[in-house]
Amino acid sequence: MTDTTSYKLTIRDLKLWYGDFEALHGIDLNIIKGHVTSLIGPSGCGKSTFLRCLNRMNDRIASCRVEGEVCLEGMNIYDPAVDVVQLRSHIGMVFQKPNPFPKSIYENIAYAPRIHGMVTNAPDMDILVESSLIKAGIWDEVKDKLQQPGTALSGGQQQRLCIARTIAVEPDVILMDEPCSALDPIATAKIEELMDELKKEYTIVIVTHNMQQAARASDFTAYFYLGDVIEYGNTSDIFTAPKDQRTEDYITGRFG
Amino acid sequence: MSDAPLHPLLQINPRQRRRARADFRFKLYGLGALLFALTFLVFFFADIIDKGLPAFQQAEILAQVEYSEAAVNNYNKAVDRKLVKLISRSWTRTIPMMLKAHPEMVGTSSEQWVLADYHVDQYLKGHDGHNLKKKYQAQVDRLYKEGKIRLAFNTGFFNSGDSKMPENAGILASAIGSVMVLLLTMLFAVPIGVMTAIYLEEFAPDNRFTQLIEVNINNLAAIPSILYGLLGLAIFINFMGVPRSSALAGGLTLALMTLPIIIIATRASLRSVPESIREAAYGLGASTLQTTWHHVLPLAMPGILTGSIIGLAQAMGETAPLLIIGMMAYIPEAPHSILEATTVLPAQVYTWSSESIRAFEERTAAGIMVLLAVLLTLNAVAVRLRNRSQQTW
Repeated sequence: MTDTTSYKLTIRDLKLWYGDFEALHGIDLNIIKGHVTSLIGPSGCGKSTFLRCLNRMNDRIASCRVEGEVCLEGMNIYDPAVDVVQLRSHIGMVFQKPNPFPKSIYENIAYAPRIHGMVTNAPDMDILVESSLIKAGIWDEVKDKLQQPGTALSGGQQQRLCIARTIAVEPDVILMDEPCSALDPIATAKIEELMDELKKEYTIVIVTHNMQQAARASDFTAYFYLGDVIEYGNTSDIFTAPKDQRTEDYITGRFG
Repeated sequence: MSDAPLHPLLQINPRQRRRARADFRFKLYGLGALLFALTFLVFFFADIIDKGLPAFQQAEILAQVEYSEAAVNNYNKAVDRKLVKLISRSWTRTIPMMLKAHPEMVGTSSEQWVLADYHVDQYLKGHDGHNLKKKYQAQVDRLYKEGKIRLAFNTGFFNSGDSKMPENAGILASAIGSVMVLLLTMLFAVPIGVMTAIYLEEFAPDNRFTQLIEVNINNLAAIPSILYGLLGLAIFINFMGVPRSSALAGGLTLALMTLPIIIIATRASLRSVPESIREAAYGLGASTLQTTWHHVLPLAMPGILTGSIIGLAQAMGETAPLLIIGMMAYIPEAPHSILEATTVLPAQVYTWSSESIRAFEERTAAGIMVLLAVLLTLNAVAVRLRNRSQQTW
């Protein structure tokens, strides 16, 4: 694909168990810097589980056990020396259902920079909140109501607020877990435009059930099936000339 | 002329009819049960109010009181000989002490409303079993016509402690005891209970050990409360040496009893906070403590408060465990510290209910009214908090 220096994340033989059930069977994947990588596959294939491994959200599940390596620019994030709090400020996450805090729009953005001690005075915080909202393409819609609760916004606006909240921490990678599945086509289009804009600064990994979205918005696509990566490559190659029969069946809608 | 076939919507088969009848019957049973319960409730309240309301008034007699030298030695000399039998001894016998404290008053006299004997009080209220002698009855009737005897608001009920003379018995000592015990219970049970729940819900791993603890906490909430009294007696009084009958012993014992209720309510409240809020915070790199403290706890707070108030209200109405640690006591003076012997409202009600003098009956009912008013207020606060918490995420 590209030379190894452009790899933001390198995943080596990643295995994951829920109790006795092996959900991922040794995933090898390189996530390319400054691009959008989409993970597609039928429900239960492990793509969301895999995504959550990338910022150790699975740590919270007691029965969950992980083996293998996920390296962020050469450093294994599962190394005991790595602090999970530090990790998540480098690899942010946007969830399937928009989940703004039931606090003001301003507070939603300001919370994470404050707890990480990135900003210590109010004027700097104002600037950071504004720039984050601008980057997330929602500034014009909310600039007059920063003190109103984030939960009062529409679903699409809430999701962009969540994206703004994530980029306020200035992460390297943004993980998105089906960010548009609860949104209408117009809000979805806005998020896709935003991803195109954001990939200039951030590396984006997105899980989606929407083939068109993967085809439209991503540069690379990985097809997951039953806990394995079946095929990984340029999005255009995957969608026009899949090498594996199972990939072709899935993307043409014959299965899945 | 042949009948046109009925429209399918109007064709009701027997099965549907039976189903509709079963629905209707079930509704009737439910309504019946509700009416039955309501009848008892109305009967209970009517009975308590009917019995207790007279206690908020107390007979007083207008008397000429002579603070003479003789009264210092014999308090019966302070009042007209004819009246003295009608006046409460619990009042007249305080005269010598008062005169010793205020010698300048000796030799003065004043006309004032003084507390009547409970026989007079009961006779005036028209209660059977007043036991007022015939000759005094005529005298009371005459005084009443002259306006020298009246039923006034019973301030003594609220500002004096227990007494063996019903006209002088009040709830002050037990009310202060109740407040002390309740505050101590809150002080011990709420922080420990809430922190236990937070630990179990947000920090502890889900393993066999924590499951065992959870089962045991749920069981503790169902244990007969008198066992907590035995536990309190063994640990706090016998082992730790907390004074018997004291508010501290009561507060600690009731805290033990309230803990499981608060833990269960807090856990339920924490669990009702959507997981997405936690994920949002964790996803931004918040630690477990930050996630809990900044995001989960504020959302769970109304539920925690509701559960705590309901637990405390239950503790306030509790008597059985206090029986064991000696709080079912005769306490005429309001306690000044948490180490002094004290009693609580429900215990006071119980003590009065076992008195043989009939005049205590209305005191008992009035005590129950006060207790009910406090408990209903506490519950109303809890309901309000719960309603306020019904926000959407």
